[in-house]
Amino acid sequence: MRKPEFVYVSYIETTPERLWEALTSSDFTKRYWWNTSVVSDWKVGSPFSLVLNGQTTDVSEILEADRPRRLSYSFHHILNEAARKERPSRVTFVIEPHGKLVKLTLTHEDFEDGSVILDGISKGWPAILSSLKSMLESGTALAIPAAALDIEGLK
Amino acid sequence: MSHSVPSFVYTTYIETSAEKLWHALTDGDFTERYWFGHRVASDWKVGSSYKFARQGTGSVEGKVLISDPPKRLAYTWHPCSADAKRERTSRVTFDLEPRGKVIKLTVTHDNLDEGGKTLRDISGGWPMVIASLKSLLETGRALPADLPSCAAEKTDA
Repeated sequence: MRKPEFVYVSYIETTPERLWEALTSSDFTKRYWWNTSVVSDWKVGSPFSLVLNGQTTDVSEILEADRPRRLSYSFHHILNEAARKERPSRVTFVIEPHGKLVKLTLTHEDFEDGSVILDGISKGWPAILSSLKSMLESGTALAIPAAALDIEGLK
Repeated sequence: MSHSVPSFVYTTYIETSAEKLWHALTDGDFTERYWFGHRVASDWKVGSSYKFARQGTGSVEGKVLISDPPKRLAYTWHPCSADAKRERTSRVTFDLEPRGKVIKLTVTHDNLDEGGKTLRDISGGWPMVIASLKSLLETGRALPADLPSCAAEKTDA
């Protein structure tokens, strides 16, 4: 049986450099990612964390950083107890020029069997990346109510 | 995910109304703008046929299975290519759900042949088509049509 993974592809009218900036700058992520900050110096092996309204929700490390082409970090949610016990999973963003557009491919993989975060990230990423696309193309991120995603632990 | 018959699911969120999104999915003038030149035509009654065509050449056709505006639309999917015609008839379902001030759009393409041409084509095609649709509804501009490949719509060489 195939290992579970979540893959999401989008096409955005922007440049690879702007998209990289949007993924790695908290000024941007706070706008499209429910006020979440991304904290890191973006060097391979450096710590990486997600901070929501002052509370750290994920702690992990940078695995690959090839600006503006490829970014990979481990992903370890620490607020929910069951999620904290899981080994870190892995998130990779691949940024490719595609004509006048940029193709963004997100792969979230390496989950434990019966992972409790797989459901949450499968619902969360489409909303986050849809809002990212809107912000880069129209200047305004989407106001998607986080509660409407029906993710356990966010209710 | 664990079905023996593969399915492809793609979800996005669009700042629009359900009525505008329904119109965008069912109006030929509108689809031509974001679906890389492909016009759709149908009366959208259950049991009726529909057809996509680009510059007069058919690309995909089928029958309307569910038509519940502006919430749910489903149709069978027959690509007009010799390879795909040998495959089982697949099905596309669009679910439109309000989420605050935005619409959650879920495209489910199921009953696909494992390893088939249609599965390969639509897996590349839907993210492009839906990305272009979202751009058009939110910014007034579809994505440029000079994409290197537009796999969902390719007919046989």
